[in-house]
Amino acid sequence: MSLISMKFLLFVLIAVIGYYSIPKKFQWVWLLILSYIYYASSGIKIVFFILFSTITTYTAGILLHKISTCHAENQDTNRSFRKQQIISQKRLIVVTTLILNFGMLGILKYTNFVIDIFNHISGNQITFFNFLLPLGISFYTFQSMGYLLDVYWERYKPEFNFFRFALFVSFFPQILQGPISRFDHLAHQLFEQHTFNWAQAEVAVQRILWGFFKKMVLADNAAMFVDGIFNRYQEFPGLSIIAVLGYSIQLYGDFSGGIDVVIGIAGLFGITLKENFKQPFFARSISDFWHRWHITLGTWMKDYIFYPISLSKGMSRFGKFAKKTFGKKVGRTLPICAANIVVFLVVGIWHGAAWKFIIYGLYNGLIIAFSGLMAANYQKWKKACHINDKSKLWIVFQIVRTFILVNISWFFDRADSVRQALIMMKNAVTHFEITSLLNGSILETGKSVQNFSIIILIILLFGCAIVFMVSFIQENKIAVQQVLISRPVMIRWAVYLMLLFALPILGQPPTSSGGFIYAQF
Amino acid sequence: MKQLLEILEDIQPGVDYENCTTLIDDGVLDSFAILSIVSELEEEFDISITPVEIIPDNFNSAKALWDMVQRLKEA
Repeated sequence: MSLISMKFLLFVLIAVIGYYSIPKKFQWVWLLILSYIYYASSGIKIVFFILFSTITTYTAGILLHKISTCHAENQDTNRSFRKQQIISQKRLIVVTTLILNFGMLGILKYTNFVIDIFNHISGNQITFFNFLLPLGISFYTFQSMGYLLDVYWERYKPEFNFFRFALFVSFFPQILQGPISRFDHLAHQLFEQHTFNWAQAEVAVQRILWGFFKKMVLADNAAMFVDGIFNRYQEFPGLSIIAVLGYSIQLYGDFSGGIDVVIGIAGLFGITLKENFKQPFFARSISDFWHRWHITLGTWMKDYIFYPISLSKGMSRFGKFAKKTFGKKVGRTLPICAANIVVFLVVGIWHGAAWKFIIYGLYNGLIIAFSGLMAANYQKWKKACHINDKSKLWIVFQIVRTFILVNISWFFDRADSVRQALIMMKNAVTHFEITSLLNGSILETGKSVQNFSIIILIILLFGCAIVFMVSFIQENKIAVQQVLISRPVMIRWAVYLMLLFALPILGQPPTSSGGFIYAQF
Repeated sequence: MKQLLEILEDIQPGVDYENCTTLIDDGVLDSFAILSIVSELEEEFDISITPVEIIPDNFNSAKALWDMVQRLKEA
């Protein structure tokens, strides 16, 4: 059930009416039932996979807590021996649960990629498996494993009620494409009793409408050109640069629009999810970009992979060696750079089972690592050139530079192969010809008429201008939604109606778009 | 405390460490800076800082950092 279908909107409407009609103490039970109905609607078989994650993580959480509590109560004479025993037991539970869950994700998502590599190396022809990829498996696995590690590190106590924990894993608005929530932020909101609030509902509906606008007007219109060019890139070498710029618009509209819808729907139940985007195209460096794009994945990676690797004994030894060899400052930074490259390699692999995603991850990791190593030199150069960090010209330069670097990475993300990405990157700087963009020959709709193509382009530019304006205001720390909600009712409703009517007039019908890109993860 | 302030100033100069209480919340220290601080603190005070300690509460101010160092020294 796609987030952008009438069936889903009807499902949400029934869900909200039911949520505020039943006794408040059963609200979370209602959400759990709805979440499983939603999940099962994509195929009853896939329910097994989410149950597997839920049961293994729940059991591990309880066991970890029991071991810690027994240790606290049992202060016998041989304390250090007992402490070591406890650490080993807890580690065994965590490692087993991590292997089971990431193993499941890995088998389903990456087996065919490994077979492909093996076939290439060995010359064998092992047949690929036709695995079922459960809905949102990457998102709920990461969310569950975050919980497991937090309980292991005793950041909070585990959830003792299995059904409540099952709701935390399966909460239906976010299961398809995130955001990846943390237990200490989301769980208490799920279990609290909520009363319907008009103002809150209005803010939520605003957010949903805005999300649909981004998805239908920006992403789906851009997709018509982007798909046309990427699928026939050899026919249109002069449009490579347009393709990648269009993909920027498509991906941002699709993913951030989808997240707006998710946050809005959760808001209808009185639940505030973490933001996943913060005007990413105003980023001043690649590192800054990752603090603004898919934020919850970035913070997950930072807390559960980057810090543990950076603070591991192996990395500490490497740090000491690097300090002796390269001096204090470089030696201190090198292990951080290494951990960073590992993190982005994982980010790349998370995006998909293909070499192009591995290169996509490494590209980002290497740029950030290089910037980290060069940070002190950059400061010196800026001082020598009298560059003021706060000067508007410098800020614009940084934003444009980051935008170009991000767009280079998109070639790997969107192309079908590394080879295609490299050819298109080359074409982007050697060829430029836009006739086929204006005459409609790249559109794959069957409506290859000139006027249609130009109209879509004008709508796209209009949509971009509106989204840019809103982002610019937000970047200047003005809460657009709060400003709108404080306006008189006539103005507010005029804006809502304009947005509502813009969707079918300016946007592509949901049936012609292929759903959300990140829903395939 | 003086040693700590010197470490902070060396890693990221130009910040009012004595008064700022939002080093993480306001993004003054990024993950590179945090790990550089951890590396220096471990060496300077002979302590071991685990991922569990990497939370905003421990890094938002020089005082919070100093408290963490004292706590880990006693552990």
